[in-house]
Amino acid sequence: MDPLSFPDVTQLAVPIFIAAILGEFLWIALKGRGGRYETRDAVTSLIMGAGSVASGILLGFIAWGFFMLLWEITPLDLGTSVWVIILCFVLDDLRYYWVHRFGHRIRWVWASHVNHHSSQHYNLTTALRQTWTGTFTFMMVVRAPLVLLGFHPALVLFVGGINLVYQFWIHTEAIGKMPRWFEAVMNTPSHHRAHHGRNPRYLDCNYAGVFIIWDKMFGTFVPEQDHDPVDYGLVYNIGSFNPLRVAFHEWVAIFRDMTQPGLSLKQRMLYALAPPGYSHDGSRDTSETIKAKHLARSPKDVGTPGF
Amino acid sequence: MPLELLLILVVGGISAIALLLHLTGRSTPRVMNDAQARQAWLRQFPESPIADLTLARDGHAALIQPADAAAPLGLVWSFGADSVARFLQEAELSPCTQGLRLRLHDFSAPQVLLHLTKPEIEDWQALISGQAINLPHAKEV
Repeated sequence: MDPLSFPDVTQLAVPIFIAAILGEFLWIALKGRGGRYETRDAVTSLIMGAGSVASGILLGFIAWGFFMLLWEITPLDLGTSVWVIILCFVLDDLRYYWVHRFGHRIRWVWASHVNHHSSQHYNLTTALRQTWTGTFTFMMVVRAPLVLLGFHPALVLFVGGINLVYQFWIHTEAIGKMPRWFEAVMNTPSHHRAHHGRNPRYLDCNYAGVFIIWDKMFGTFVPEQDHDPVDYGLVYNIGSFNPLRVAFHEWVAIFRDMTQPGLSLKQRMLYALAPPGYSHDGSRDTSETIKAKHLARSPKDVGTPGF
Repeated sequence: MPLELLLILVVGGISAIALLLHLTGRSTPRVMNDAQARQAWLRQFPESPIADLTLARDGHAALIQPADAAAPLGLVWSFGADSVARFLQEAELSPCTQGLRLRLHDFSAPQVLLHLTKPEIEDWQALISGQAINLPHAKEV
């Protein structure tokens, strides 16, 4: 039995989430700007959030068991000093950047993450529209280096929880831009609005969790453009508020694609592992073809951010 | 946090927010006019221009005849405060008391309930089943 434990910040933040949602709604209602709310959309998002917590309680032992196995193997133990916690937080944010990027570029991982983008609204409830199927993406392996480097699994999960809680407040239209220095370093409502855009310009950008610097370092940063307002949702929007359909629709689509008759093994694998939009006959659009088609229609956008 | 407390917070929070939104009028489906329905279609299918558009009287749905004559009919409909659009190549149509029910064989958009008047039901049935196009009320956009 390992005695080290940290609080589950995601669960502790639930009352704050509820209060902030009520606060944002009242702000929008009183000011008449700063976002939109719709009953079924919001309820679906909240149920997805509750289901995500339940999924963590039910399936969390798999990732935990994996991390503890690595912890047994590694000879390193960095302890839990304040500096180690800060270092772990920063490295875990880098881990988040790549998991999030994989989540948009590998359909198997996208199948889990897609539900977070499935709302056509962008408010604080959207932040809670979280996956139920993250365990099945096996993205826990991206955390393995942290544990092997000597960060205790409990610490790794603790900083990951703080990362998620940070991202809650950036899901809002009620905040325009933060001070320039903050926008330069941190992920903000403006940066993350762009990430949620289905406009060709904003596809596959701004994967950051807490620090936007990762996007700037790895070439995926696109600033929100005043002349191209963000259109929220999926390229191909879903037409159901049923949480089960929201949670599983892309998994069902992968299964149907992979089991089509007449495909080679490689084509079947690509339906699971290639970027979303892959098709064996080229009949569907990927982010790249969507951007290219947009530029063919709007050549003036060539060379502007996102293109 | 004890699981019981978490459960109370989650269920209570969701219920309170749902009630507040509903009582403040956030459950009303979007009503579209011709231009808005056209825009909603092109938002989903920018490469499929519209030849004809038939807007339901309640403004909650519109039947789309794409400019490409070989393309199947399309449907754009209110989805909460927003819209969703689909081509109708595999749709199954069945009348119901409110109008027509369309089953789309699409896990992410399984069915659409179209609230239509009696004359509309006949027109839309004819259009969707391919027996007639360009009815008098179909508007060019």
